[in-house]
Amino acid sequence: MSDPQADIENKLAALREAYGPRFAAAETEQQLRDENAKILGKKGELTAILKEMGKVPGEARKAIGEKTNALKQEVEKAFEVALAALHQAAREADLKGRPFDLTLPGRTPVGPGHKHPISMVREELIGIFRTLGFGVHDGREVELEENNFTKLGFPPDHPATDMQDSFWTTSGHLLRTHTSNIQVRAMMGHKPPMAFIAPGAVYRRDDDATHSPMFHQLEAFLIDEGVSMAHLRGVLRAFAERFFGPGTPVRLRPSYFPFVEPGAEVDFGCTFCKQPDGTRAGCTICKQTGWIEVLGCGMIHPVVFESCGIDPEKYTGFALGMGLDRLAMLRYDIPHLRLMFENDPRFLAQF
Amino acid sequence: MKASYRWLRSLVPQLTAPPEELAQRLTGAGLEVEAIHRYGVGAAACLVAKVVSTRPHPTKSGLKLVTVDRGAAATQELVCGAPNVPEPGGLVVLAPLGAYLPAKNMTIEKRAIAGVESEGMLCSEAELGLSDDGDGILVLPPGTASAGAPFVAAVPEAEDYIFDINLTPNRPDCLGHVGIAREIAALYSYPWAPPTPKVATLSGTTIESLGVGVRIDETSRCPHYGAAAAEGVQVKASPLWLRYRLASLGVRPISNIVDITNLVMLEFGHPMHAFDLDRLERGAPGSALISVRVAKEGETLVTLDGVERTLAADDLVIADGQKAIALAGVMGGKGSEIHDGTTRIVFECAYFEPRTVRRTARRHALHTDASHRFERGVDPSDIEAVLASAAAWTAKLAHAQIAAGTLHVQGNVRFPKTIRLRAPRLRALLGVDVPWTEALDILVRLGNKLVTSTAATAELEPPPHRPDLTREVDLIEEVLRVRGIDNVPEILPAIHPTPDSGGDEVFRERVRAAAVTAGLSEAIVLGMTSPAALAKVKAEAPTVFLKNPLAEHQGAMRTSLLPGLLESVSQARRREQPDARLFAMGPVFIASAEGLPTEPLVLTAVLSGTASFRAYLSKAEPVDVWDAKGAAETLLFALTGQKPTLERGELPPQVHPRGGAWLQVGGKRVGYMGPLHPDVVDAFDLGAHPVMIVSLDLEALRIIGRAAPKFQAIPKFPANARDISLVVKDVVPAGDVQDALKNAAGPLAEDVELFDRFTGGSTPKDHVNLAFRVRYRAADRTLTDAEVDAFHEKARAAVELRFGAQLRT
Ligand SMILES: [Zn+2]
Repeated sequence: MSDPQADIENKLAALREAYGPRFAAAETEQQLRDENAKILGKKGELTAILKEMGKVPGEARKAIGEKTNALKQEVEKAFEVALAALHQAAREADLKGRPFDLTLPGRTPVGPGHKHPISMVREELIGIFRTLGFGVHDGREVELEENNFTKLGFPPDHPATDMQDSFWTTSGHLLRTHTSNIQVRAMMGHKPPMAFIAPGAVYRRDDDATHSPMFHQLEAFLIDEGVSMAHLRGVLRAFAERFFGPGTPVRLRPSYFPFVEPGAEVDFGCTFCKQPDGTRAGCTICKQTGWIEVLGCGMIHPVVFESCGIDPEKYTGFALGMGLDRLAMLRYDIPHLRLMFENDPRFLAQF
Repeated sequence: MKASYRWLRSLVPQLTAPPEELAQRLTGAGLEVEAIHRYGVGAAACLVAKVVSTRPHPTKSGLKLVTVDRGAAATQELVCGAPNVPEPGGLVVLAPLGAYLPAKNMTIEKRAIAGVESEGMLCSEAELGLSDDGDGILVLPPGTASAGAPFVAAVPEAEDYIFDINLTPNRPDCLGHVGIAREIAALYSYPWAPPTPKVATLSGTTIESLGVGVRIDETSRCPHYGAAAAEGVQVKASPLWLRYRLASLGVRPISNIVDITNLVMLEFGHPMHAFDLDRLERGAPGSALISVRVAKEGETLVTLDGVERTLAADDLVIADGQKAIALAGVMGGKGSEIHDGTTRIVFECAYFEPRTVRRTARRHALHTDASHRFERGVDPSDIEAVLASAAAWTAKLAHAQIAAGTLHVQGNVRFPKTIRLRAPRLRALLGVDVPWTEALDILVRLGNKLVTSTAATAELEPPPHRPDLTREVDLIEEVLRVRGIDNVPEILPAIHPTPDSGGDEVFRERVRAAAVTAGLSEAIVLGMTSPAALAKVKAEAPTVFLKNPLAEHQGAMRTSLLPGLLESVSQARRREQPDARLFAMGPVFIASAEGLPTEPLVLTAVLSGTASFRAYLSKAEPVDVWDAKGAAETLLFALTGQKPTLERGELPPQVHPRGGAWLQVGGKRVGYMGPLHPDVVDAFDLGAHPVMIVSLDLEALRIIGRAAPKFQAIPKFPANARDISLVVKDVVPAGDVQDALKNAAGPLAEDVELFDRFTGGSTPKDHVNLAFRVRYRAADRTLTDAEVDAFHEKARAAVELRFGAQLRT
């Protein structure tokens, strides 16, 4: 007559001896998984042992149960280790395998890709301003406080910096909050007259449905003797005609930017609800006003000239800045800012 | 800033422009009215009614039947569920049939409530759109009006137009109704006089006899401190008109004293504070009860919001004889707060230096109505008017006795400087002739004092409420703003064409065009990323870190565009878009020992999923390294006019060692390409589809540039092509065979092209079948077939010998 307890213990001991070599023998992941299933699966060996537990009397059953469970955990762990080792071996084999034949010819792409809508607008605007005589000035994104704020007339602690909540680096520089830093760089590096535009990425500490912490602006400025508000309006008119279409109304509202005086915000007649007679019916894009706010501008503040070593009595100038992201949204009917930064292939393929 | 049209009209009685028109005029002058809201639209249709009797509802407990007198002896019975229906004689507000209550989007109709017909409704403030209070119906104080009177005739403040004005930070004068009214008067050329507060009844006591004295320790940070005192104050709810005025302007009514400080702030734009005099502690005998000083290190103050704040030595505080009682210009202290039992109060009206308030507000992350105004600069000249106004209201609404005399202690007072305005400068800057007298008239209407003037210059002293007027150009803007910018003509300037400075944009446009030609679409990648994300792509560790990132995963400036691109690929896959051919171009950021980081421009491209547009109707195949090679070649040819060579030295860690290669042009490394390294694939969980990358060092390519193409003569004589199909060991690179064929075929072999490659079928194991087409051509004659056959046979023999290649027939 067999002793069920001894019988089970013998089987457990045999299995404990066997599982290691059996896992080690597996050469592929599938083999390893199969072997694991033979032990731990529903019809596995250990499962079968568990079924025999009923034959063991009460107290001994508990001790055997614990032993069985311990073995189960041991096997599970060994399986994970063996699997990781197989993966590691496969990875090493893959990395060390015979190199691909890179002398085979490259496949020439068939169809063209797509520029990002922000870039399309950027290139279009640069084209417009180039025809007016402006040149492009290089930019940089990490900037000195001096060029981004101080020389533009932002005093420290001034409430205007409320509008400019900025990213600072641990070295005390900041991510430029506008492309207006290029005004300073241009004035420090060139003698008037000058007419520059400067496009590029800028950063502010806003991140919500309508703000991205990185966005894009284009700055334009003209400095010469005798530049007046009338010239600013003339350039805005030319911009409106070429970008939004002939006859587009332009409206300036006085506003405040520390580095221009007088300063203004500029609205253009809404292109979405324009009627055949040239009037605007109002729509959701213009919030029923018929006007779209597009840019800020003004006469360069004498304090900016002074801080850059240019005589404000001799030279005057205007500056204007606009958001490329917003212009791209208007140009291509893009309803949400977020779409422009998600890089969804279906979005990019539309432009 | 919210502004009440009704209030503005009471301050400028001549104003007749309807709200829309006024809003346009203000917007045109730089006070941008973003929206006009109607307040109390529902109230306008309602009547005052007097309760005649009430009886229980016949079937429903909790409901009452209320008979009201609605004027002209007409009565009606209504069903009402409110718990607070007053006794007979009480006044309530009746919305009659047809009244529309927008707050509840409800039109009053005849309807049966639990079987009883009701033709109207007794309204709560919430239903009238006056406040959030919907707990019970609005019960009017006795004597408000007679039954039947329109409700808004009894309480006019219940109906208004509220302007949302987006004020620029340079116009603190318009943070109060007086300032906006003064601006309106200037814009419309109406006469202007500031309101004169009604004089309060004076008690026998003086402010000094109440023991109120003020000492300013920080004289430059607090140039003015004014105080007034009152006793016998009865703290209670404000009358309806005041509560509605505050509520319409977004301020919650609290109690009469607190409401008065808010009312006066909204009137003058000058914040005030009220202390409970009996909660102030005295100091040493002879010392002032109130002092303006900096906080002691470690001093604490529980502010009105219940937060205990540890003060910094830079914080300006108001203190009694023992301790800080308020954060100057930001928030009062809980300990001296007005409460129901307050009977004696001290009002504070001061001028604190904007920067002082700004620093403290920032330090304690408090942005209050008071700090908002002090930070921008309040009018230092209206302190006595503000205190008088508050005192007058306190006498009237809190039945208080006002102590005689107000204190006005001065610190370092700044006196205004005059500004010189020159007529020629005005013309030069605006580009339009403005009549000189008109310009001066505008400036005077805005409160500037004309000190002296000639036909070409004037000296003006700006008013104390306009801290933004400091230079000539500021006055020029005022003239422009009030006259209207539309009066400036549009003149296109003749600009000297300015050459580019730097040339980066032209280069970027070339790169962008090249990438698009290479079948890539442009992605935009954030400048910020995290050290962890860069480590995941095995990129160089970042060296430029943000002090105040919005999130941990945006704490460093990128050294690689790969994390952003791979995240885009990953996101596209989650949207079931496995096919992506993206490129991003932009600077990476590398700290320098001194000065600003360098920002070299790089381009990185990612090809993933299937090469879906491989050929017409052919099966889509997963992208492989030869797609990456093709993209790299196309890009580099467009940028340099040269084909890159591939070099497989020690590879960058981003690429798979079996398939990666450096890209070289003219012997210089200009980038790399290859399958994404499997560790990176795992880190971004991109294993479902292959991912290839191409990365270019655009700074190196910018230097190499592209020489203008040089014309080559077009061949006059035909080519003669021969195909050759070879079986070689698969370890032999096809390019070696190709090169060997080209060399062996002689100088007249113009071109060797691999046009097919296959394994399997009759091809032996570990072998591959390569099919080449060799084109022979001479520049000076047509080659004969025999000549070509001879060249070709020589070529075949050579490769057979070198590679053990077998000719396949
Ligand atoms: Zn529209």
